[in-house]
Amino acid sequence: MATSFKFKPLTISILLLFLYNAIASSASGSSSTTMHTNNWAILVCTSRFWFNYRHMANTLSLYRTVKRLGIPDERIILMLADDMACNARNKYPAQVFNNENHLLNLYGDNVEVDYRGYEVTVENFLRILTGRHERAVPRSKRLLSDEGSHILLYMTGHGGDEFLKFQDSEELQSHDLADAVKQMKEKRRFKELLIMVDTCQAATLFSQLQSPGVLAIGSSKKGENSYSHHLDSDVGVSVVDRFTFYTLAFFESLNMYDNASLSSLFTSYNPNTLMSTAYYRTDLYQRRLEEVPVTNFFGSVMETIHTDSPYRAFSNRYYRKSKTEMPSDQSGGGNRRALKDLDILEELADPKLNVRPLQSTYLLVHEG
Amino acid sequence: MAAASAPTPPSTAEIAEAAEPLPSKLENSEPDCPRKTRPGLKRLALTFTVLFSFLLGLPFLLKSVEIYRSPLPFREIDDLSAAVESIPLQFPCKFRAVFVGTGGSSFDANELSVKIEHQMRKIAAKDSTSCGACSYNSSVSVVIENGADCFRSDNDFNWKCGALSELNKYEDSGEYNDELFDEYLHSLVDESDSRGNGGNVYTMIVVRREGQKDASAVVGKYRHGWIVGRVSEEEAVKKVASVFVKAFVNGGKEEGSISGEFMPVGADGKIVLSFNLLNADPHDWIYDWEFQEIDDNLLAPILKYLKPIADISVESQVLYHTPKSSFSYWDEKLWSYIFTTKDLPFFVNSNEWHLDTSVAAGGRSKILHLVVYVPSATECPLLLQLPNGKISKSNGFISPMWGSVVVWNHAACLNGSKMDTRVRHTISSEDMRKIFEVFIGQLRQLFGLKSKGIFRDTSSGTIRLLTSESGFTEWELDVLSRQHTCFNLLQCTTTLGSLSRLVQSLPRMIIKEEIGEQVRYSLEAAKSALSNVSAGIYDASAVSSRRARSFSEDAFYHPSMMSVSYYSFEHCFAVYSPFFLPVALHVLLAALREWKRYKQESRKFKAWKAKKD
Repeated sequence: MATSFKFKPLTISILLLFLYNAIASSASGSSSTTMHTNNWAILVCTSRFWFNYRHMANTLSLYRTVKRLGIPDERIILMLADDMACNARNKYPAQVFNNENHLLNLYGDNVEVDYRGYEVTVENFLRILTGRHERAVPRSKRLLSDEGSHILLYMTGHGGDEFLKFQDSEELQSHDLADAVKQMKEKRRFKELLIMVDTCQAATLFSQLQSPGVLAIGSSKKGENSYSHHLDSDVGVSVVDRFTFYTLAFFESLNMYDNASLSSLFTSYNPNTLMSTAYYRTDLYQRRLEEVPVTNFFGSVMETIHTDSPYRAFSNRYYRKSKTEMPSDQSGGGNRRALKDLDILEELADPKLNVRPLQSTYLLVHEG
Repeated sequence: MAAASAPTPPSTAEIAEAAEPLPSKLENSEPDCPRKTRPGLKRLALTFTVLFSFLLGLPFLLKSVEIYRSPLPFREIDDLSAAVESIPLQFPCKFRAVFVGTGGSSFDANELSVKIEHQMRKIAAKDSTSCGACSYNSSVSVVIENGADCFRSDNDFNWKCGALSELNKYEDSGEYNDELFDEYLHSLVDESDSRGNGGNVYTMIVVRREGQKDASAVVGKYRHGWIVGRVSEEEAVKKVASVFVKAFVNGGKEEGSISGEFMPVGADGKIVLSFNLLNADPHDWIYDWEFQEIDDNLLAPILKYLKPIADISVESQVLYHTPKSSFSYWDEKLWSYIFTTKDLPFFVNSNEWHLDTSVAAGGRSKILHLVVYVPSATECPLLLQLPNGKISKSNGFISPMWGSVVVWNHAACLNGSKMDTRVRHTISSEDMRKIFEVFIGQLRQLFGLKSKGIFRDTSSGTIRLLTSESGFTEWELDVLSRQHTCFNLLQCTTTLGSLSRLVQSLPRMIIKEEIGEQVRYSLEAAKSALSNVSAGIYDASAVSSRRARSFSEDAFYHPSMMSVSYYSFEHCFAVYSPFFLPVALHVLLAALREWKRYKQESRKFKAWKAKKD
């Protein structure tokens, strides 16, 4: 049973690796393109209060998805007002659901919220993006990306024409966001950036972006609203938004080894079921969407290079230290013989010179 | 009262005049209302005093709303960018070659020198624009020894002719001991260095003699290499040139420059090496290690050696319940569990491996995780199989900018004996040494060098690279210093350029004095790095370029430069104008009106006076 399961992901991962190799080899040609080394996710829920339950459920659902697909907590920055689970109005204390069937508790275990409550402000959000933190801010609250990182930025809440409301008291304007992204690009803090916005008139939020390498999708165009999916009559509020609901439906069918492309994700949104038009802009993005796997942003990727051989330089030191010890492992009787030869050589050679055993040269020559 | 009575009628006339609204526009004096006295100056003086007090107060107001912007040296930043970015930074390197041959040589020293240079330029043609490479400007010094004769191409190279006649001593043992030969050549090369500049001079020694097998090139631990054996002169020239370019300049790789993902030094010039021992399933067995011993004996000398490149600090931890997230399968032939290179991207289980728990690493340091994975009983022994079917010698892999993993199978697992699961076992010193050999190989890979000691070149055969106890040989450290200097200087200039553009685009943002200082220090360090580059001092240039980059990053990432915190000029205007604009308007209008009235009255007075006279 276990073996048959392994073949399908193996073939898919072969394809995946070929794709990575192709991309990596083409990317390593010029000095300006670098290898894709890691993925980051910044998930922001900009609302608070009980009636905005669905925004927190949106963000937590996406958090769970990217974790399942492989991005570790140390590369996820989660900003939530976090006042739902322990809210006095919550009939199911310490539980947050995104579906009325209550099958999945999003607040179950292993949820690491980096900015909670009143720390979710426009200033902190822009500080994360630009990297200008106070000295005492811990590493888990910083975006430590480098020039090989792909970043997923997901924002949900209440928004409008060219702005996004933060916690009912401030606004993030589209030109602030564009400015922060421009500074990130200048400092090479990302290789590619995917912005997903689930608010009303979402597409206006990224209308001012100019930096290359940015892909953005919003749940609605200017003048349109984004709607919630369904009302949970038990909990008493709407529990998920339509755009996020259909995004999650797409991802529930994927696992870490899969190869679905971004264009299949973007074209899976149906304006009739969304009740708005999911608008995306690709003019700043060089690659074709059909070639980009979703795991480039939503999953984990590690570029790995096999280590050819150990660096044999230390046999002398340890041999000198533990001269009377016999090597404990049984493998390699050949090694034992070479060590005996070393005895003879050490007696002949000048003790003042830094003698290294002959065995290392033997091994190097025979490997050639 | 007589004096008072005289001005009274005109004063009433004045008041009557003044009470009339301005648009009366009396141009000339009307004959029915002559003015017989000089117009008074009191009101004029009053209004103008108020106006002037406003004008005097204006600079104080402007000063009070002034924002402090530390003056940044924009022009110097531009000059620095021009100096670094326009032409690729190249270092002066000096090459020398010695040809010791029993047969007659058809070329003389100068011709050989020219041939070697020509060959080097040909090989390095594609890399000539890469940053951090050697500039192939200086000529190669050649010495030819032919029995008792000794020919030199120039007098810089003070090689003692006949020094290699004692080569026979090594011949008798049948096999050359590379290490002894390396030391011996090192002493010879050191003596021959007349100018005393130990760095950046690379030497190749070719000993041509009849022998059974063809010669291959060997590069030692210092800054020289040799070719001993049967080789024709043309061949020797090719091999010498390829060793110079591929090894000494490029560091044992094909391409010249190291790309950004192999520069793991953090923005503050520091790296934190985090060593982790992971026990996949503590129910099977628990392993511990004597890390302090390894740190003192093996690691500390290597890290001290790497000091010009980065300040490296070390941490270690032991973790439990850390299974991997990829799959492995049982192979009958090899009698072990196999995972392939296709599983490598999925090996690290980030949900269970909580590696980034360093408290010492600051916000901008780089952490590299070096992991030893002890598999559980269900997967023991666990071996890595390469695409060509062979088993990996190191059983490990790296991920650039993240770190590396080694899978260690303990002896009891290999020979199937039972282990006491309740006792905490310690990894033996011998096994620790083997693991550390892999770690050092992986650290070299993370820095962009190769982990093994053979460089296979299609055109001129193999080049063998000797290994050093410091983990990196002297010439490899030179390569790293050059590349890192180049990288750091480029980063520094782009950061300073971005900073100056940012500062100039937001004219009302406060620039603290600290930022100005950091920019100045950064420029100073960059200048000193550039001068070291031209002088050819590699490690000093690496150190100052690191400082330059770290100061520039500190300045750019200063937490006070957030554009949301500062008001635009329109905002300031909108705040202050309701206070001052209406009052100022009235004062100005009053002054103008008084001035106009005064002019008018004095004209009338003059007219009356003229008429009287």
